[in-house]
Amino acid sequence: MTNSINEIEQAQVILVSGSNTTRTHPQVARRFYRAVDRGAKLIVIDPRRTRLARHAHIHLRIRPGTDIALLNGMMRSIIDENLIDDLFIQMRTENYTTMRDMLFGIDLAQAAAITGVPEKTIRRAARIYAQAQRSVICYCLGVTQHIAGTGNVQSYANLAMLTGHVEQEFTGVDPLRGQNNVQGACDMGALPGVLPGYQSVFDDAVREKFARVWGVELPATPGLTLLDMTHEAGGGATGLPQAAPAIRALYVTGENPLLSEPSLNGVKKAFHQYDFLVVSDIFLSETARVADVVFPAASFAEKTGTITSSERRVQLMRKAIEPVGDSRPDDWIVMELARRMGHAMDYTSPAEVMEEICMVTPIYGGMYHDRLDREWGVQWPCGGRNMEGTQYLHKYSFARGRGRFEPAAHVEPAEVPDSDYPFALITGRFYFQYHTGTMTRRTPILERESGQPLLEMHPDDGRRLGLRPGSVVTVASRRGRSRFVVELTDRVAPGNLFTSFHFAEAPVNELTIDASDPVARCPEYKVCAVRLEEVEPC
Amino acid sequence: MLENFVLEKDHLLPLLRKLGRQYRLVAPVRNRHGDTLFTEIHDLDRVEIDLEHQPQSSLKPFFFPQVEVLSMYGLDHDTSSGATWYSFYPQLPENRPTVYFGVRSCDMMAVMYTDMIFLQSSEYDVYYARHRENAIFITIGCNQPFSNCFCNATRSGPFLEHGFDIQLTDIGDRFFVETGRARGVQLRRQWAYFFRDATEDDRRAQFQAALEARGLFNRLVHVDLVTRILARQEEPEAIFAELSARCQDCGGCAYICPTCTCFTIHDQALDEDRGERLRTWDACTFSGFTRMAGGHNPVDPDRQRVRKRFLHKLLHDVEHHGRTSCMGCGRCVDMCFGGVDILRFIEMVSENETEHEETP
Repeated sequence: MTNSINEIEQAQVILVSGSNTTRTHPQVARRFYRAVDRGAKLIVIDPRRTRLARHAHIHLRIRPGTDIALLNGMMRSIIDENLIDDLFIQMRTENYTTMRDMLFGIDLAQAAAITGVPEKTIRRAARIYAQAQRSVICYCLGVTQHIAGTGNVQSYANLAMLTGHVEQEFTGVDPLRGQNNVQGACDMGALPGVLPGYQSVFDDAVREKFARVWGVELPATPGLTLLDMTHEAGGGATGLPQAAPAIRALYVTGENPLLSEPSLNGVKKAFHQYDFLVVSDIFLSETARVADVVFPAASFAEKTGTITSSERRVQLMRKAIEPVGDSRPDDWIVMELARRMGHAMDYTSPAEVMEEICMVTPIYGGMYHDRLDREWGVQWPCGGRNMEGTQYLHKYSFARGRGRFEPAAHVEPAEVPDSDYPFALITGRFYFQYHTGTMTRRTPILERESGQPLLEMHPDDGRRLGLRPGSVVTVASRRGRSRFVVELTDRVAPGNLFTSFHFAEAPVNELTIDASDPVARCPEYKVCAVRLEEVEPC
Repeated sequence: MLENFVLEKDHLLPLLRKLGRQYRLVAPVRNRHGDTLFTEIHDLDRVEIDLEHQPQSSLKPFFFPQVEVLSMYGLDHDTSSGATWYSFYPQLPENRPTVYFGVRSCDMMAVMYTDMIFLQSSEYDVYYARHRENAIFITIGCNQPFSNCFCNATRSGPFLEHGFDIQLTDIGDRFFVETGRARGVQLRRQWAYFFRDATEDDRRAQFQAALEARGLFNRLVHVDLVTRILARQEEPEAIFAELSARCQDCGGCAYICPTCTCFTIHDQALDEDRGERLRTWDACTFSGFTRMAGGHNPVDPDRQRVRKRFLHKLLHDVEHHGRTSCMGCGRCVDMCFGGVDILRFIEMVSENETEHEETP
């Protein structure tokens, strides 16, 4: 997030896209509600009529995967009505003329046809967003999990720059991150092309710095993405520019790819080809079951370390209880593994690991445990022990200097419904379950609340097919099939279906497609074409 | 008649030390992260008893734990006939004489309410009873109510007239001490040398403190008005709908509430043949609380999720027990991040009424 979460309360316009915020980020949603109470306007972009969408002043109910068309339409309308921020564009951005020329080619009628949102509504939303002093954009996986994910994100950035809604308090572009520490994992270099703190592996000086601290030579080439690792063992997954060397061994920690990765058939094939699989997890997950070696990891309550939230806040989590049974904290597992592989990692505490992170990671330069212990975390970038954290990003100038407009054109999803597979299947999350359910599905009260693999379907579709709530249906895509329990609800539009990947007995990723964004390699979880095959009326 | 004494503040810790030898001692303790929670004290010298802040937790978990093993079960079989069956082996909690120190009026009233729920002869709950037996309560009146408190409006504080074993009132360098129930009287007698008889000055100081406290509430909350409105049986449906839509479905209000007593029971397998039967806190705001086997839910979560909660506290319990089961502790106000706590409800209902009265 460029902003802090608390700033959202002060926004005058909140544009939420691809986020079921009340369900997935309730602590952010409460700020939306409070802002609306104070008179803010809420605009929601979502193919589903979520609870937030019902609460919104404008719900732009787009066809799945048409964000770019919508945003280009909105930006065209903003230019037409001369609501752009000239001064901001001139002082802080570059490549505007290319952007403007592209937008002059946009036809709003066509945008309306692609997105399914009336032209008038697009104009109204654009006007409300552009006219306010403090407009904030919050987006989530509904934006990124598309083959055009990068273009989607760039388009939101374009919209914010066009109207000068960034670089200040209470206004910016805020991706809402998922797990408590997914931000921290990315910050620490759990991405193929960067070392901790987003320092590029292509940069000789960066590699040399890390090599001196770690005492090893570092490869100058990026690693593989998860998608490339888990599909056909690196042997040329769809869209991979060049065949990577075949993977022979995989070490999975806190991840359950045999349920969470798209197009599971391909994943299973890849897993068959590994010579050796190690899984580290707190429970025996679907992936751990097929591992050669399982490391019993300690849960969050049994270890000390930091987590970094969406608003870049690094917070200390303290061990509450000793690890149960034979389980061990992650740092112990990694250090012990390294030692037995002949590379001593000798840290006496997580605080000592953090000291090294502070030394080599400029944005984490001041994140010492003793300091975090005294404060409610610190927001990066924070360059040193005596420096303040950063409440919002890009003050006075963007990190890269000038903000660059990156025009994007609409890209149809990899697979759209047709006569063979007439439904568009959207995947997401349910409130009471968490991801592959490794933890939550072992919790009885959560199971009672949400223990069934429900498939949301519009009542009109249900009526047409003779389905009732509770009917069991087999859903098939070109890649596989899975069985779900029907829920009839107008949260989904006619022709759309929605379900989640929480349920091992109904793995929706048998159906999903492994087509991905060419830059981020993020799979298009958010839409694939399916049909109903077998129906068992209840 | 209540007997009155004085305990010097300097003598409190020595008294607790004596009590700690004979009883398990539970008191509000401020931990190193700045949270004040009722905590079992093992070493008085290593903890900070905190009477300045409202304890974030109530006493509920001590008598009605969030998760409690009711029984163990296992598969038994008869080798000669080959028959198998499950046997259940009840697990009663241990019964430890305990002194609960520093209990606020609202929490004491809440214990009296949960006693009524769990110990009525027809629904006597042996698990609760085991925890509850041999409990002694040393309460403390609230000279300075906390920011969200409204016990004056629910008639459950800031000072108690009955229910406590011993009630303390802070009157400067000393506590004014009232003994209530028999265990308190006995305890005072056993440690008589810690206490001196109260003088007229002490009584006046106590009276003054109690009087001042009543004027120090931050919030004006019209509980009586709302119970009267609800008693007319005209449901504020629009308010329920508005609040239900904002409820974030976390159950935090019921979990933190000292008088919410709903639970559910489930079995947790330990291996293929054995397991535990557990009871866990439940909440009426959860959809699964009322959802039927076929999937139908008589409560529409989008419009009625919070209805049962507020009607139970402010209408049904008034009908059944003659008083609200909201004790005005205000904890749910801090807990709720959807902004649909009971204070908001009471405010909305009373405002709604005033508006109606104003329009002819």
